[in-house]
Amino acid sequence: MHGEYKIPGGKLVVADLNVIDARLTDVRVSGDFFIEPDSALDVIDAALQGLPADTSHEALTLAIEAALDAEVTLYGITPGGVAMAVRRAIDGATP
Amino acid sequence: MNRTAWHEHEWQLIHAGAQSPSMHMALDEVLTTEVASGRRKPTLRVWEWASPAVVIGRHQSLRNEVDSDAARRHGIEVVRRISGGGAMFIEPGNTITYSICAPISLVAGLSFQESYQLMDSWVIDALAVLGIHASYQPLNDITSPAGKIAGAAQTRRGGAVLHHVTMAYDIDSTKMLEVLRIGREKLSDKGTLSAAKRVDPLRSQTGLPRETIIKRMIETFRLRHGLNDDRLGAEELALAEQLAGQKFSSPEWTAAVP
Repeated sequence: MHGEYKIPGGKLVVADLNVIDARLTDVRVSGDFFIEPDSALDVIDAALQGLPADTSHEALTLAIEAALDAEVTLYGITPGGVAMAVRRAIDGATP
Repeated sequence: MNRTAWHEHEWQLIHAGAQSPSMHMALDEVLTTEVASGRRKPTLRVWEWASPAVVIGRHQSLRNEVDSDAARRHGIEVVRRISGGGAMFIEPGNTITYSICAPISLVAGLSFQESYQLMDSWVIDALAVLGIHASYQPLNDITSPAGKIAGAAQTRRGGAVLHHVTMAYDIDSTKMLEVLRIGREKLSDKGTLSAAKRVDPLRSQTGLPRETIIKRMIETFRLRHGLNDDRLGAEELALAEQLAGQKFSSPEWTAAVP
């Protein structure tokens, strides 16, 4: 499943994932954003892995925020934007 | 950490002969690491491309961004760089690319946006000398009233920051659109459906040869910040050749995000 979201004033966030037994699996977030250190993107993927597929946008956002250390810098990408791409992947809402 | 000014550093210029796309990726990593360690002085490196390439950002999905069959058909090498940002379509005579490898003190205390603005400021001056009224446009573009000119990307390695910029000198939009996949979602807040129309290259804006523009840019940097002519060290070259072969040509790295 594939979802995309262009963050207004930011960058494109893409989510590719599968849903097995109503849970998110094989989650991979990609896009033309900037994140330092670059390993923090793996942390975001891991935070989403295994969450119920009916997790709300707000709860997905909180799960990502909680997983990121204070020293991680995001530029052109936000937890809410990632959550939007993930919801679109699950809901099949990307045009 | 206190912020340092450009003129407090002894800037070095590297403008070597044409190199392969994977070698350019490797040189960025090696030279940034060398500046971070203090073994190399802060450096401006102007790239010459030996062959066409698509350069994708650190976090982009290879499959989503590139039509690999079309790239192969056109003899275009696909490489992944160490910085984030978007895909670039490179043909040797059509692009002006450079890297700045600087101590992190140059951008100490700045936000990412301020740091892009600072690193792009000399080239805005250089473009003004060429008669182009360019400006930095967040997050990472250089634009002019006639259209986008360039895109920048930064990444940090320990005590150094890498800021590299690709400027469009000329562009074969038809070929670019065959090779890059540019989705509708990406263009949703850009106000145009044509990626090709977003770029207005330096050739049409200046009427000058590519080499002349590069020469003027180097002159502007030299006047503003000082610049010594330098070359790649034997050890730097050997390290970069090793990385180009083992990392930047490998499917594991290029398809790190498949």
